[in-house]
Amino acid sequence: MKRIGTYLWVVFATLMIMSCVEEQDFDQYEDLSVTPTYEASILYLEVPERSINQLTGTNVYSRDFNFDAFSEDVFSKRVIDGVLTYEVENTTSKPLEVKIQFLDEAGTVLDTEQFVLGPEPTAVLINETYYGPYGEDINIIKNTSSIFVTATNLGDTLSTSSQANPMVTLKSSAKFKVRIKE
Amino acid sequence: MIARKYFIITALWAGLFVHAQNKQLLYDFTEVPQALMINPGMETDFSWYAGIPALSGISFQAGSSGISVNDIFADDGLNINDKVRDRAIYGMSVQDELSGTYQVEIFNGGFRGKDPSVFYSFGLYNEGDAIGYWFRDYAILGYEGNADRLNQRFDLSHLKTRGEMLNVFHFGVNKKVSSDLILGARGKIYSSIFDFNSVNNEGYFVTTEGQNNTFASTLNADLELRTSGVNAIDHAHDDDNIPATVIKRGLFGGDLGLGVDLGFTYYLNSQTVLTGSLLDLGFVYHANDVENFALQGSATIEGMEIILPDALSDPNQDFWQNLVDDVEGFIPFEKETTSYLTFRPTKLYGSIRYNFGEPMQGSAQCDCDYRTSGKGPNTVKYRNSVGGQLYVINRPRGPQSAITAFYQRRFGNFMAIKTTYTADKFTFTNIGLGASIQAGPVNFYLMADNLLAYRNIADSNYTSFQFGLNIISWGKK
Repeated sequence: MKRIGTYLWVVFATLMIMSCVEEQDFDQYEDLSVTPTYEASILYLEVPERSINQLTGTNVYSRDFNFDAFSEDVFSKRVIDGVLTYEVENTTSKPLEVKIQFLDEAGTVLDTEQFVLGPEPTAVLINETYYGPYGEDINIIKNTSSIFVTATNLGDTLSTSSQANPMVTLKSSAKFKVRIKE
Repeated sequence: MIARKYFIITALWAGLFVHAQNKQLLYDFTEVPQALMINPGMETDFSWYAGIPALSGISFQAGSSGISVNDIFADDGLNINDKVRDRAIYGMSVQDELSGTYQVEIFNGGFRGKDPSVFYSFGLYNEGDAIGYWFRDYAILGYEGNADRLNQRFDLSHLKTRGEMLNVFHFGVNKKVSSDLILGARGKIYSSIFDFNSVNNEGYFVTTEGQNNTFASTLNADLELRTSGVNAIDHAHDDDNIPATVIKRGLFGGDLGLGVDLGFTYYLNSQTVLTGSLLDLGFVYHANDVENFALQGSATIEGMEIILPDALSDPNQDFWQNLVDDVEGFIPFEKETTSYLTFRPTKLYGSIRYNFGEPMQGSAQCDCDYRTSGKGPNTVKYRNSVGGQLYVINRPRGPQSAITAFYQRRFGNFMAIKTTYTADKFTFTNIGLGASIQAGPVNFYLMADNLLAYRNIADSNYTSFQFGLNIISWGKK
């Protein structure tokens, strides 16, 4: 009977010894790249024509908006490349210039986007600016701490558009690839 | 970097090879005292037994229903990024799980009472149990992002996980009620060392076309993570004092609970036996060192919105900070310490066994057979048994089951072996082998599962083993 036991242990031992592991290449982990791409809106500006007409003494509206989304470590240390997309539409009766400047913490201008719009009727102006290896310096995005917007009325402050609810609008969105794992 | 790599690989191994705790080899293996732990109503013929402390019962089981290490790390010339995307990110479903358990008996013993039809058993074991379902939409969002996925909802309910480590003090009674029926029950006191669970999550994240701006990002979240003991372990880690903290919390210094196991063995006829058991019907009340985290609410944002002339009303307002504050206000992240209750993963076993072959005298010394208990509870044992078993465990996504066919062979009172074929959601080719050797009073058992997978362990979705060492007496003179 003990012989049976011996056989059994031989079976177990054989299983242990004969068990195989096909060659695994764990160094492949180094080649694993996790680089998702995220997109979201960043800034929406809406200026009705009546507000433009109410501006007195100046034809310029300008404002510095704090914008920390790009400079947060979780983003700035991981962003690889991406694109900012702007959609500008003018349905007022005036020609306008809209300027967007990206500023760092010290207030230094890093990049400028400029849009010149004729009076209505105008088409929607779409502009895409790429950042990264094949575009503008990605450090512009990484170091942006605020956005300075300047809207200049190149026309008068009396006329009114024939469009319903005339206004100038700026839509913008960001689409960036970030590196989760090297 | 290297440490992180190996940590991830180790975690992957540990996670992938952890499996629901089906002990189909040990179940109703009446030669092994530890089988009483999975059916307190098992047929017993021992006079007494004593497990070798810390060696009487060690089991580890691991598995994955969706992927194996070989699927990702095989040296097959394929790009690992393609393999991860095709086989893990999109290859696994939310029903796929990474789960498992281990159990180590600290001590275990049993003795027959003055009434020889009653057998008592008692002990303490440490158990760890964890399960995580594949968080598919989180993985897609993390691996590929939300770009160019307009209107695609990322389902936050895909996060479903729980785990715990606890000590279990138990005392069981096994009684031969009649010549046909044996009943058993085991009371348990759970002393939880740590627990975490996040199982009732709801919500979604979606990017849609915005009303004003280009995109609207919506987060609708009802997420909760409940923990107990984790904070204590974390502090103990900082103080380099983990063993003392684990021991303290495991010896009634943590969170306590109660539970019961029930079981029976019933002879349908002289050779056909029906058995069943219900294990860990119990709960743990977590009131000590509790930390719960919740993210509940809903918000839709379209970036910073500056709409004149309202935006001119406060020249100092910080639109970015207002946006952040609004989101945090609508979806607050909260931490609180409210006590909570968890139910243990209840398990159900059932079997039907047909004994055949030459009857033989059992180990105990008595004038008895299978229907006549005589002086002791011993029964006649047949050389062969064949039958089927059912196993069901309650899991966060509902019950999981397995069916097993088995054959058992006894070689005198010296040795018994059992071989099983099991089919479950993890594999349809699970063949197991277990043996119990009795050398005088010393009992040793060893059981291993999914033996076919030993051809390439890295490609296995499941593996397990259990072994133990006991001293057994049948009261022979």
